Amino acid sequence: MDNARFHIPDNEEYRALKKFIEEHRNTPGPLIQVLHKAQSIFGYLPPEVQKFVSSELNVPLSEIYGVVTFYNFFRTEPIGKHVINVCTGTACHVKGSKVVLEALCKELGVEVGGTTEDKFYTISTARCFGACGLAPVMVIDEEVFGRLSPQKAINIIKDFKKAEEN
Amino acid sequence: MAKRLDVLVCGGGACISSHSHEIKDKLIKVIEEKGLSDEINVVETGCMGPCELGPVMVVYPDGSFYIKLKEEDIEELVEEHFLKGRPVKRLLWETPEARKIVEEKKQIPFFEKQKKIVLSNCGKIDPENINEYIAQRGYEALGKVLTEMKPEDVIEEMINSGLRGRGGAGFPTGLKWKFTRASEGDQKYVVCNADEGDPGAFMDRAVLEGDPHAVLEGMAIAGYAIGANMGYIYVRAEYPLAIKRLEIAIKQAKELGLLGKNIFETDFSFDVELRMGAGAFVCGEETALIASIEGERGQPRPKPPYPAQKGLWGKPTLINNVETLANIRHIILNGASWFASIGTEKSKGTKVFALSGNVRNTGLVEVPMGITLGELVYDIGGGIPNGKKFKAVQTGGPSGGCIPKKFLNSPIDYESLKALGSIMGSGGLIVLDEDTCMVNMAKFFLEFSIEESCGQCSPCRIGLRQMYEILDRITNGEGKLEDIDRLQELGETIKATSLCGLGQSAPNPVLSTLKYFRDEYIKHIVDKECEAGVCASLFYAPCENNCPANVDAARYISYMAEGKLELAYYTHMKNNPFPSVCARVCPAFCEKRCERGKFDEPVAIREVKRLFADWALNEPPKFTPPEDSKKEKVAIIGAGPAGLACGFYLTRMGYKPVVFEALPIPGGMMTVGIPEYRLPKKVTLKEIEIIEKAGVEIRLNTRVESLDKLKEEGFDAVFIATGAHTSRKMNIPGEDAEGVISGIDFLRKINLGENIEVGENVIVIGGGSTATDAARTALRLGAKNVKIVYRRTKAEMPALPEEIIESEEEGIEFEFLTNPLEIIKDEKGKVKAVRFIRTELGEFDDSGRRRPVPVEGTEFTVKADLVIPCIGQKLTMSKLHAGLELYPNGHLKVDPETMMTSKEGVFAGGDAIYPSTVIESVAQGRKAAIAIDKYFGYEGALFEEERGEYVPDYDEEAYLKTILRKKPEYSDIRERIKSMALEVNKGMSLKDAIEEARRCLHCDRGKSLLKKKVEKKHKSLEEML
Amino acid sequence: MKLSDLKKIREKYSKDMNLREGKARIKIVVSMGTSGIASGARETLKALLDEIEKRELNDVLVTQSGERGLSSHEPVITVYEKGKPTIVYGDVSDNVARKIIAEHIVNGNPVSEYILEVKEEG
Repeated sequence: MDNARFHIPDNEEYRALKKFIEEHRNTPGPLIQVLHKAQSIFGYLPPEVQKFVSSELNVPLSEIYGVVTFYNFFRTEPIGKHVINVCTGTACHVKGSKVVLEALCKELGVEVGGTTEDKFYTISTARCFGACGLAPVMVIDEEVFGRLSPQKAINIIKDFKKAEEN
Repeated sequence: MAKRLDVLVCGGGACISSHSHEIKDKLIKVIEEKGLSDEINVVETGCMGPCELGPVMVVYPDGSFYIKLKEEDIEELVEEHFLKGRPVKRLLWETPEARKIVEEKKQIPFFEKQKKIVLSNCGKIDPENINEYIAQRGYEALGKVLTEMKPEDVIEEMINSGLRGRGGAGFPTGLKWKFTRASEGDQKYVVCNADEGDPGAFMDRAVLEGDPHAVLEGMAIAGYAIGANMGYIYVRAEYPLAIKRLEIAIKQAKELGLLGKNIFETDFSFDVELRMGAGAFVCGEETALIASIEGERGQPRPKPPYPAQKGLWGKPTLINNVETLANIRHIILNGASWFASIGTEKSKGTKVFALSGNVRNTGLVEVPMGITLGELVYDIGGGIPNGKKFKAVQTGGPSGGCIPKKFLNSPIDYESLKALGSIMGSGGLIVLDEDTCMVNMAKFFLEFSIEESCGQCSPCRIGLRQMYEILDRITNGEGKLEDIDRLQELGETIKATSLCGLGQSAPNPVLSTLKYFRDEYIKHIVDKECEAGVCASLFYAPCENNCPANVDAARYISYMAEGKLELAYYTHMKNNPFPSVCARVCPAFCEKRCERGKFDEPVAIREVKRLFADWALNEPPKFTPPEDSKKEKVAIIGAGPAGLACGFYLTRMGYKPVVFEALPIPGGMMTVGIPEYRLPKKVTLKEIEIIEKAGVEIRLNTRVESLDKLKEEGFDAVFIATGAHTSRKMNIPGEDAEGVISGIDFLRKINLGENIEVGENVIVIGGGSTATDAARTALRLGAKNVKIVYRRTKAEMPALPEEIIESEEEGIEFEFLTNPLEIIKDEKGKVKAVRFIRTELGEFDDSGRRRPVPVEGTEFTVKADLVIPCIGQKLTMSKLHAGLELYPNGHLKVDPETMMTSKEGVFAGGDAIYPSTVIESVAQGRKAAIAIDKYFGYEGALFEEERGEYVPDYDEEAYLKTILRKKPEYSDIRERIKSMALEVNKGMSLKDAIEEARRCLHCDRGKSLLKKKVEKKHKSLEEML
Repeated sequence: MKLSDLKKIREKYSKDMNLREGKARIKIVVSMGTSGIASGARETLKALLDEIEKRELNDVLVTQSGERGLSSHEPVITVYEKGKPTIVYGDVSDNVARKIIAEHIVNGNPVSEYILEVKEEG
């Protein structure tokens, strides 16, 4: 990685990431923790950010790319302001999470993995949030909603948006 | 207008007798005097329960419960409480009465069979306050270990406890510690595996969230035992709350010096850091987890070397799971022998299970190892909700298997589960009901494993994909029988050759379902049927799929939504010529799978059907006899639902069949088995008339003596639908007494107009529809006390729920868990009483139900004038059946594909082959008609057009909000119990039926596929008329 | 920290927790695990605190914990009271929480339809 040819934008986000990297540089195996931090700052891991991490940690970009693509949790595409994750774990599957997912996609007019036109929601699936007793479950950002029916799920995303708009 | 206070005065009998009416009058008077009438609402209610404390009264919203009120108290009460808002303490109901009520209240057994060790602090202490943990003897075990025990002693204690790893494989924890201690190395690590990836397991999350210090303490003890000064917790990023609580716990422990340097002023130092996972299931595998902590892709590494020798950063590393570590401090505090006293011989202690899926009580349960699956599902889990049947439990997540109902008595421990083809895994236990398709389930898990395969080794990467493709074919109706063997081979190969645990166990869900649910695979492949109604490409709509006769309810409901009764009627007639009968007595299999039920309530399909069905009764019959009839002659024996359905569909294929009936009335069980108040005879006879007009000849009062005779008369094929009219015996003394009559004999005699003296006290024995029919008939004939005695519980009664409810409404008494021992006769040989014994539910039988076991010393006697046993019936053997093969239960044996008996050209159906409902008999009759046509060398073609979607013309959007189902009208209870002829259910109005039909969600939308291969498209419905 | 220090902490806090010598007469523990929060435990907690404040009940303490296990009946709360059995309530919505304060905490009549478990000791 040729550091000289890579311009580091001087903004708050990069400064925050750099600070985190400085603090964790000397802990063993910091890469995944740094990527978690980067994703929490930027919302996703675009190539520039991966390059930045690469140069800061002195880890080849290919290795970073390998790690980013290996783990489901890391995203390389931009996402909406809020992420809806519908659980497709076993208990949720048995209790009809598919119908909930379909209803939400229909309501938002996007496919699974897509982002709404207004960039408010991204809808995705995940495997098990450990709230199986409340199946079927979805998570908006970090908030868990359980015992869903298609209608209930639609009401929740509507209310959630309304609450934020007010 | 809503009032400020609601005052509920008990108007139960006991309270009235202690003058609650006077209290109420006085209240109203005082309230008026004080000008509070607009603010306070006084209501008289039914009995509130504590009669001995009456008169009682409750004030809402605060719920103050007043007892033993006297008129002179009222003045003060209104003044103090209602006006000034101060409840009158001296009149309030307080302990110990309140306490007693609470103690008597039936607690849900969810907690009773549990033993909490790991979860003992969860739900009790504040996880963000270390002091509360310390108050529960927290860090005392660490203190004890550091000050009193040598590392070797600690390891010895662990070995003696018998604790095995709770993460899945069940490796003995003490041995793992011993090996790690024995490894050479300047630096060693303890790693807590909190990457709880099995979908369906969440005990680790609960422990981390509810009792994080227990894990930290366990890690520190492990560190001391193996000689490590550093620990890592690898926790899923999906558990933000757990991460937060762990961070707080680590910080607080460090502040108090319980982590860090020189703990308890000893030489021992130990630090803990968190490492977040990033969503890779394979990282639960220990070598992959190590790679991930090191900041790399989480790919497994070949073993050996084991982590105990060469783990994190090449150093000896001990990896234990959260639940394992949470057990440690309890073992140190209470001793290895205490721990070893819990559980089974090889599996010690407790295990936490995450109970979820189709079970009433979901959540985490901690039970001693060795508890049975049945206890978990039924006692703790509370059984299956929504009246569905239990099918299987899935344990061990994507690495485990499905265990069917016949193993409900099996204990849960590492070895037993393995023997059943599953694994303990991390403790996810998902209950599956009858609506679960096992092929789909296997596919679901395989899809999971494919997505989570790290791709390193080919058996896992390629083999699993091949298995998935086969399953995908099968669920789409394109499977071949060879696929089953192929799946088995692939699965076994992948198990044997994969590099890590993921691949080695990924085929388990397929292999275990192949083992226990092979029939379901075959159904998907051969019959292109998914009985659970899950595999969408194999059916149009769940209602139609679940109907034994595949009546296209989706379409007739669509017609009804537009008020098109005639089209709805024809749709029904294509598969079942008894719409009016079934609208009254069908268990409505269709409604059980109605998707609307997942939304609010199922569509009242059966009630809607009644409108077009009864309409058609008064229309001129539209079905005429075939003009150029086929030359082959078919005889049908028995004019019940199976025989008449067979006859009707034979006419539609060009025959003029003859039906022989021994009784003076046609209809079989429909006319002589079901009482008039549930199914009026004129309705049944009218539907039979339509069948006759279509070309079926019925010869009443004609008993067929032998099959040979029919042959002599020129019949080329025979369909036996003689029903099952011989009652099974109870095999108890006194059964021959006068005044003992079986349910079907009783109902038949009444239906044929005979007079039976029922007396005052009638006892009905059994739990099916015949039992409720007989009991309610006896009541209508003037019996004073009618009792239904059943050996299991209400939940197991085979009678329809509405029959049970209506019986209770009418005053029938029930005795559950009771079995008859003897019928006591008087000197004339007439029944006098019945001696009973109570039963309790014991172990599970193969049907997945609990077997009733008599309880000694609980015998009791009940007076009786008439005893009606209704415990099932069997085929009446006659010369007719001579030479035909039978099932062991005494019914005729047929080839399920062709409905043919062991004799060429002789077919059978209905109760004669299997005791069943009207709709099941109709389905068999129809199937037999097609089979007979094919037997004669024709195509077996009935009216079958391509069933496609039908889009009705009304605003569907308006019906997508929650609307509860419409209820039919019922006859007044006081009136109906006096009359055999008064129909109990009077149906609903056409307007209501149309509105009800519009609740349909149209699951058939977008489906147009040719259903049964046997019934190819030939003529349209209109051409068939 | 010495072992004896640990013992001191233990003694102090176990007294508080057992309500024998603490100031509080009643302690209400709200299960605040993922399942509880997802089922509305935050609203339950707020309702409890609100009712306690409105009624000026200064001898009632409210704290949080992890989950008790019975997810299908979340939100779950536990009421510990001096000299009385411990009562675990399930399905405690905002309204139910208010009812429990009014009927159980104030008037001493446990709200039986929401009781999941009654235990002799804490």
